[in-house]
Amino acid sequence: MSSRAIVIGGGVNSLVAAHMLSRSHEVILCEGDSPEDGLGWVPPQIARALRLEGLKIEAPDPWAVAPLPGGGRLELWRDVARSAESIRRVSPPDAQKWPQFCTRMARLARFLEKAYLEPPPDPLGVRFALRARLLGRQGLVDLMRLLPMSVAELLDDWFENDTLKGLLGAAGVMHLQQGPRSGGTAFRFLHHHVGSPPGVFRPPRSNLHDILKKRSGIEVRKQPVRSIRVEAGRAAGVVLAGGEELPASRVLSGAHPRRTLLELVDPAWLDPELVRGLRHLRERPVAARVTLQLDRAPGFSALVHAPSLDYLERAYDDSKYGRISQRPHIEAYCDAQHRVEAHVQYVPPGTDTPALGDLVAAVLSDQLGDAVIESLEVAQPQQPHQVELSLDQALWMRPLPQLAHYRTPIQGLWLCGAAMHPGGAIAGAAGYNCARVALANRT
Amino acid sequence: MRRAVTRYDAVVIGGGHNGLVCAAYLARAGRKVLVLERRERVGGAAMTEEVFPGFRFSVFSYVVSLLRPEIIRDLELPRHGLHILPLESTLTPLENGDYLAQWNDHDQNRRELARHSLRDAEAYDEFGRVLHHMARAIKPMLAMAPPDPTSLHPGELASLLQLRRYFKDLGAERFHALHKLLTMSVADYLDEWFETEALKATKSASGIIGTLLGPRSPGTAYVLLHHYMGELDGVFRAWGFAKGGNGSVSAAIAAAASAHGAEIRTSTAVSNVLIKNGKARGVVLESGEEIEGEVVVSGADPRRTFLSLVGEKHLPSELVESIRRFRFRGSSAKVNLALGELPNFTCLPGRGPHLRGAVSISPSVEYLERAYDDAKYGEISRRPYMDIVIPSMIDPSMAPPGKHVMSIFVQYAPYHLNGGWTDAKREALGDAVVDTLSQYAPNLKGAILHRQVVTPADIERIVGLSEGNIFQGELTLQQMFFLRPAPAWSKYRTPVAGLFQCGSGTHPGGGVMGASGRNAAFAILGAGA
Repeated sequence: MSSRAIVIGGGVNSLVAAHMLSRSHEVILCEGDSPEDGLGWVPPQIARALRLEGLKIEAPDPWAVAPLPGGGRLELWRDVARSAESIRRVSPPDAQKWPQFCTRMARLARFLEKAYLEPPPDPLGVRFALRARLLGRQGLVDLMRLLPMSVAELLDDWFENDTLKGLLGAAGVMHLQQGPRSGGTAFRFLHHHVGSPPGVFRPPRSNLHDILKKRSGIEVRKQPVRSIRVEAGRAAGVVLAGGEELPASRVLSGAHPRRTLLELVDPAWLDPELVRGLRHLRERPVAARVTLQLDRAPGFSALVHAPSLDYLERAYDDSKYGRISQRPHIEAYCDAQHRVEAHVQYVPPGTDTPALGDLVAAVLSDQLGDAVIESLEVAQPQQPHQVELSLDQALWMRPLPQLAHYRTPIQGLWLCGAAMHPGGAIAGAAGYNCARVALANRT
Repeated sequence: MRRAVTRYDAVVIGGGHNGLVCAAYLARAGRKVLVLERRERVGGAAMTEEVFPGFRFSVFSYVVSLLRPEIIRDLELPRHGLHILPLESTLTPLENGDYLAQWNDHDQNRRELARHSLRDAEAYDEFGRVLHHMARAIKPMLAMAPPDPTSLHPGELASLLQLRRYFKDLGAERFHALHKLLTMSVADYLDEWFETEALKATKSASGIIGTLLGPRSPGTAYVLLHHYMGELDGVFRAWGFAKGGNGSVSAAIAAAASAHGAEIRTSTAVSNVLIKNGKARGVVLESGEEIEGEVVVSGADPRRTFLSLVGEKHLPSELVESIRRFRFRGSSAKVNLALGELPNFTCLPGRGPHLRGAVSISPSVEYLERAYDDAKYGEISRRPYMDIVIPSMIDPSMAPPGKHVMSIFVQYAPYHLNGGWTDAKREALGDAVVDTLSQYAPNLKGAILHRQVVTPADIERIVGLSEGNIFQGELTLQQMFFLRPAPAWSKYRTPVAGLFQCGSGTHPGGGVMGASGRNAAFAILGAGA
């Protein structure tokens, strides 16, 4: 019994954590509802640790196309030189800067990448300082200057073409209740670059979630958890919604930290400061997912509709006052069956979403041409990071400084969801880091 | 007749408050100092002018709070005529006819807050304590030349280690609180504390001053702290008004500098820094005259200093690039009114004590955010944020008997206005201000005898601040500490030997603080000049 572990949640982080633990523990995964968009770089460390088989990474090439105002499309390829050629048609100066921009951003993303596959660094630690020094002078200056900046400022520093800046800038605000002129969005731009080759500024999609769900080795209960049992300050197991009690010596929760610590656990166990911090965590979902079925191929596999930074900013303005963007930012992925998955931003929660399919079709009408469109599904706005990934809720601050190391004040209870470092879009990394911390901790 | 060639130990370009502070400290240390001011009087943006007969205005900068107390002490400014009168309150009229008043008196303030929200009244003291502690924690950093974390120089490494120890000693809790303040939006930060919209808005206004960011943009919370650093007479948070206007702050510093032997020449514009063999030898005036100096100190902003007074050809391309990317984006304007009678606020009629304090037009965070929305697309805020004081209520010498002067700080008025600034746009800004304010004080329009509107373009033209930015460059995290104004050149030095910077475009920058001028003087003296 003492080697039994329970993992709460069916998201990719919970699944990774569960399978990491299953090598030395009997693991029961208690699944709630957990939609996943499959978006996120899969770190090779995780693939190795789990000996993943059948992992498929979708890496469209061009990784993004954007309609140009005068007709035609700007195409950005996985090959830096080929993108530069494409950019040259709209702006020779931008094309010239592209390779250097890609190199400088890639260097910073690699720095984050290293910090993402282990518990958050100690900002005052020698190790962190030495690693930062390895970036070199230019790299370190770039990093310190870039992190707090707005993605609009970053791109204005480098480029002139609106289509290019809109396409790139959208990566800085994806799933964030901020516009491209807000501080801290350059950090988000880098976050979405982590794991991708130089010049690719969108995380890939993978079937990681699917293959982990099908994988054997753990017991799965399709029931949400009603509460976590705590005995003498230690996690002792969980009670399922149906009333069944499952004793365990370790509990890893992929649920939102607020739900885990204030609802599943009796908050009387917690320090009032921590309770206050949990209540103040920001999540603010901003993007809905719309699925459309076309009757023919639209001629793109990854389309970004964000014609300029101002366009994105205006889309954000609507949401500040609680409205759906009249002209939203859309990223559309089309598969071989002509099914289009569209990321639509900004859509504040609680707004009327059924008409979103029509809105997407209207905004993309030039790109979809005469294709017959059927709206299949509109998914309500979700925050894939659970807790908004902003500089005050990132790294050693994520989700709160007291919880940043996956541990909770309750012994034997860990947090393993996207709310934990490094957040979403790095598939399974929070679960991987958490499992390693939990395994290193002898109970 | 042959003019004797005088050689100075230090030639200071610009008689703004930082230039004067720097000059005063250098002179105090026995150096032979000359201050050159382009305009007919010193003070830069801190100056008083009789704009209309009998009506005197602090035309640009209008309150005192950040001026470092050690400067007041070291330079004995009260002896040289500095007299600061406290501002007792801040009144925020609301759109529903009510108001929120914040008083310096603790109990009065608590009663007023409790009228809006008991919870906020409870949280207010704790909030004040936390910010007070944070301000104290960061205070030593104001007086320090920021260490460069990219440098491998042993001296730099030593001061980095010292800084690290300092942060460690703060303790994890305060370090994390500081991290939050540096990275959050002021609106989010205040949401964690308060629920009264007008309170949040009025407090968050300090986070947006001088920037082209809205209160919901991350990076705006930090400036809140700057405003808790004001420590007049040892009282944190108190804002004051200088008797005789902000020009008397400059005049007092100038008098202190002169008393220590510094020379000040006004109406003397510098054309460029005289550079020979990569070393600054003095300055060339617009008249062609050359003045020699062992060191040259520029109080001008970084763009003016490096790209105009020095010139690209004397600078490494990396620095030129950094300075080009340094953001100014002035967003603040001033409207100065000469009034025949006092404004009568509908929410609090009559001549009450509230007219001796500030009036803030900031009814809600959304109001400020909408004001920003206009500006980010290059328009004047239709309904701007305003911070208003009536100096003649505190210092009657500012206006003829029975009449008044009103100073209105306005945001946002973007420097990069669509179609550029014209006389018509300037008046449109004045109208937007007066119309908005008249909604709260309906007698205002009839009371106006004269009106002066100062746009960011005017500030640039008159005072010489690039893009009219009142802080000589936005005070955002990516332009602070060792990045202000450029990496490797944040310690008041420049790549040109003998040339130093002392303006608020250097660390810590911003406001009538004087810390940059003082730190620069120590850097110069430490360099053995």
